[in-house]
Amino acid sequence: MALTGLEIYKQLPKKNCGECGVPTCLAFAMALASGKAALDACPYVTEAAREALDSASAPPIKAIKFGKDSVLGDETVLFRHDKTFYHPTTLLIYVSDTLSDEELSAKLQEIKGLEFERVGLQYTIDGVAIVNDSNDAARFAKVAATVAESTDISLLLLSDNPEAVKAALAPLVARKPLIGAATADNYEAMVNLAKENSVPVIIKADGLDALNDLVEKAVALGYKEFVLDPGSRKTVETLANLTHLRRLAIKKKFRPFGYPVIAFTSNTEPLEEIMEATVYVAKYASAVVLKTSVKAHVLPLMTLRQNIYTDPQKPIQVEPTLHSVGNVNENSPLYITTNFSLTYYSVEGEVETSKIPSYILPIDTDGTSVLTAYAAGKFEPEKIAEAMVACGIADKVKHRNVIIPGYVAVISGKLAEVSGWKVVVGPRESSGIVSFSKSLS
Amino acid sequence: MLIFGERINGMFTDIGDALRNKDPKPLQYWAVKQEEGGAHYLDVNSGPAIPTEERVAAYEWMVNVIQEVSQLPLVLDSTNYNAIEAGLKVCKRPAIINSCPAEQVKIERVFPMAIQYNAGVIGLTMDKKGIPKDADNRVAFAMELVAAADEYGLPMEDLFIDPLILPVNVAQEHAPEVLESLRQVKMLANPAPRTVLGLSNVSQKSPDRNLINRTYLAMAIASGLDAAIMDANDDDLVDVAATCQILLNRSIYADSYLKVFRTR
Repeated sequence: MALTGLEIYKQLPKKNCGECGVPTCLAFAMALASGKAALDACPYVTEAAREALDSASAPPIKAIKFGKDSVLGDETVLFRHDKTFYHPTTLLIYVSDTLSDEELSAKLQEIKGLEFERVGLQYTIDGVAIVNDSNDAARFAKVAATVAESTDISLLLLSDNPEAVKAALAPLVARKPLIGAATADNYEAMVNLAKENSVPVIIKADGLDALNDLVEKAVALGYKEFVLDPGSRKTVETLANLTHLRRLAIKKKFRPFGYPVIAFTSNTEPLEEIMEATVYVAKYASAVVLKTSVKAHVLPLMTLRQNIYTDPQKPIQVEPTLHSVGNVNENSPLYITTNFSLTYYSVEGEVETSKIPSYILPIDTDGTSVLTAYAAGKFEPEKIAEAMVACGIADKVKHRNVIIPGYVAVISGKLAEVSGWKVVVGPRESSGIVSFSKSLS
Repeated sequence: MLIFGERINGMFTDIGDALRNKDPKPLQYWAVKQEEGGAHYLDVNSGPAIPTEERVAAYEWMVNVIQEVSQLPLVLDSTNYNAIEAGLKVCKRPAIINSCPAEQVKIERVFPMAIQYNAGVIGLTMDKKGIPKDADNRVAFAMELVAAADEYGLPMEDLFIDPLILPVNVAQEHAPEVLESLRQVKMLANPAPRTVLGLSNVSQKSPDRNLINRTYLAMAIASGLDAAIMDANDDDLVDVAATCQILLNRSIYADSYLKVFRTR
């Protein structure tokens, strides 16, 4: 992303000395913006000039990697429909070191159970946040070790005491945990600890101004693997902070905020906590720390995360397998359509309204509609016949009638030939299915 | 895409006569008619119809009579800044000052006035020496206007850079340079300044003026044009502006997009 002429001009000394070979600083800024000059030509530029070049080439939000395949940041838009959101929010479960050994082992059991398979997709929890609520460094290290032993997912070690983090981190460096939090009081020790062990560190301050100051101080220590925590814990404040941080990083290339952001839920009632977490997932949090680890609470959040982070340019598809509507039996009709979700659900809705239990077989057309697929050669009679065999429909119904969309009536003869079924041409629009279905029996 | 209706201009005989006779009817007729055509702003220019010493009073009168029948914001078009200031004082909605070249003396007069009255500024990419031929020099003047906006605190969205289109029959080589200027002006600042053209200039004294106007409008919009001072009652031209909104994904498509463009 190139810098604008005005942004460069503001960084220049405004001496209009002409030593760069261009008569005025304004003209030199223009030359730089259009790539006709190099900044080195000006003998009077400051530190700001180097930063200007730096921010022109770097991506707006740095990618931070930790633990087991957790990637935070590296996003480029404010709204997913502008392009897409790339790295799904990392979800971590809060584990306090004040838990007794029994409670800890029960909690870990519950966390292990947080894996789902739904509509063909795999959902898993990404990590555990081990929090030093006890203020006892030895206990913190022991709990961290126990957690690490029980699971291979990503770890976050959270304490205000750098010594406690150091002790817990030492045996776990190979797991590359995220550590935190570096605050105004401890940032030197905490950031240096992160630097020595090459692990990312959370920079936490109260509010955006304080966060800006602290990030600049931390960067001065020669390290840049940061995750930001603006300190807010109320939903409304966190939403505002997440929005400001993302906007400034992307729209204004504001370097101190060019890092991913972590959010912590504060609601103690689990249903409210999940509602709070959905706000953070939708609005730019790269990681969220949750207190609840009950399966019924976490599944909807994971589903939302999956939905928010799908690429809107790719058509949404349904599984190209045999679907059934209602209590199907051996007399149920068979409808053929495509696996484009808009097409499929239009058909499914009408079939449901017809109140006749039916089978629907969406053909895999890479998620394109009936006419698009037909025009692209993805909805051919041979392919449909193959899918009919593959789904085993012949064993499920007594009849041998298959209903195709009215717009592709032209394939009926060939499909009858290759499948051996009687092809019934349905209505052109799915809205005609209800009245059409009455004529079936 | 903003349409600045061009018709209330003393160069047209009906408006010139109306100004001399203090007859508000032609001004009010065109205010309403241009709004119906799709104008978002009304350009107001006394032209040479009024002697210099009476211009200040004339602008105040013009603004008042137009505002009696129209809610549209105005573009005050004059080289006499006292006349513009008199108009700004009575404007009910934020207006736009048309125009200010890239000359320090005029910048010092116009930009503080724009801030004071919450008005926008049309900045011309020229100085005392005239209109440059190539895009580079046009953009250099634009940069000076952008720096001035930044210095005086005029929001970049309120600065409209006009890279000055000339008639294609006598200054043909300017047309592509203006398109290139529109592209480059968008790179000068973030957020970018907006852009405007006095569109009808491109077809002065040519046959098929409407065809030239609407073809150039489409090309200019694709190059980054945000507003045009133009004939808001040339339906084909307004249709082009509306269609460009759709093809550049600036307005959500609907089958009735031509109608929607005119009614919002």
